[in-house]
Amino acid sequence: MVQSLYIRALGLVTTVCYAALIGWMYVHQPQSVAEVTGALSANIGTYQVDQPAFDEALRLFRENQFAAARSGFERADPAHRDARTQFYVAYSFYREGWGRLYNDDRLFTLGLEAANRAVALSPHGIFQVDDAGLGIRTADELKAELESGLRRDVSDLNPLRLFRVRK
Amino acid sequence: MSPAREAFYLPLLFLTVVLLGGMRIVDRVVLLPPTLFALVLGLLLLGVLVKCGALAPERLMNANRPALANLNGFVVLGAAFLAGAQAFNLATPDAGLPYILFSVFFLVLLLNTLAASPDRVRVLRSLVVIFGSAFILKFIVLAAVSDPEGGRLRRVLLALLEGVTLGTLTQPVAHPATGYLAFVTLLLFLTGLALLPHEVASSQLSVVGSRAPTIDN
Repeated sequence: MVQSLYIRALGLVTTVCYAALIGWMYVHQPQSVAEVTGALSANIGTYQVDQPAFDEALRLFRENQFAAARSGFERADPAHRDARTQFYVAYSFYREGWGRLYNDDRLFTLGLEAANRAVALSPHGIFQVDDAGLGIRTADELKAELESGLRRDVSDLNPLRLFRVRK
Repeated sequence: MSPAREAFYLPLLFLTVVLLGGMRIVDRVVLLPPTLFALVLGLLLLGVLVKCGALAPERLMNANRPALANLNGFVVLGAAFLAGAQAFNLATPDAGLPYILFSVFFLVLLLNTLAASPDRVRVLRSLVVIFGSAFILKFIVLAAVSDPEGGRLRRVLLALLEGVTLGTLTQPVAHPATGYLAFVTLLLFLTGLALLPHEVASSQLSVVGSRAPTIDN
């Protein structure tokens, strides 16, 4: 009788945990095991970015090696749970996709996704980075810049666009 | 029914169906929640199972059971309902004319089964046929018609469907793994239905004699 009670209680707890995990997966749509484990550890406050990998990726970013930098950022934050890393990923897409005549829409779209992640992961949705090498310091500004790059309007025909500078 | 089956095996099995039933592998993995119509079909399926004796809810929840046992029973019923909805979600094509046809087909079959009210074994056999035929039509026939690469089956089907506008039939092309995953999911679901606590037939009761039908606790 007591054993049956334990089995029922344990079964109920296991089922509730499993159901919660499934519900979380439907809401967040993780794409890899790393995203699942990373998000779970972030929820209990044990998720940490791989700092050496991040530093190396930042060095590559500053040398304008954007694809290599993104590989490094991916290693540093495989679960996409760190706002700072996602901000730099978005910035790398912005810088690589920026063009004087036209922008690369595919890279800008990927950049916008990363910028949205950075905003979502920041407390109160506000993210700011203290990096003198960047023309844009906040996730909101970066998001707006990427959105404006993707927008089609008459300002695209303005010849003064040729004189604008990459931030 | 043993406490382990009620507290562990059935809920975990049905929840696995809930998880896998919404999984679609395209260029990335997408988890689709059940549509409203799939929820209606899931509820109808639960009604059919109860009516036909394939599910005896009073063996899962009743006033004589302890609260914890009733809670376990409630979880089994809830998980079975959601798994049913996801099984229909999985077996129904994603878009176009086939989506409407399959939805109507499922609704009519369930209503027909409800009206005919067969016994447990027959209703389980009927569900195997319903989900089996839907699986073949969706993951083999429609997938072949929708495959842009094409194969021998596609050519045969195109010859048979000459004159039909294919735009109304073709579906978003999924990764081949989706079909295998769907097969396993439907097998799990049907296994779960067979394991549900069911009504004890009167003929069995007479054989048992003095052993009256007991209510699980």
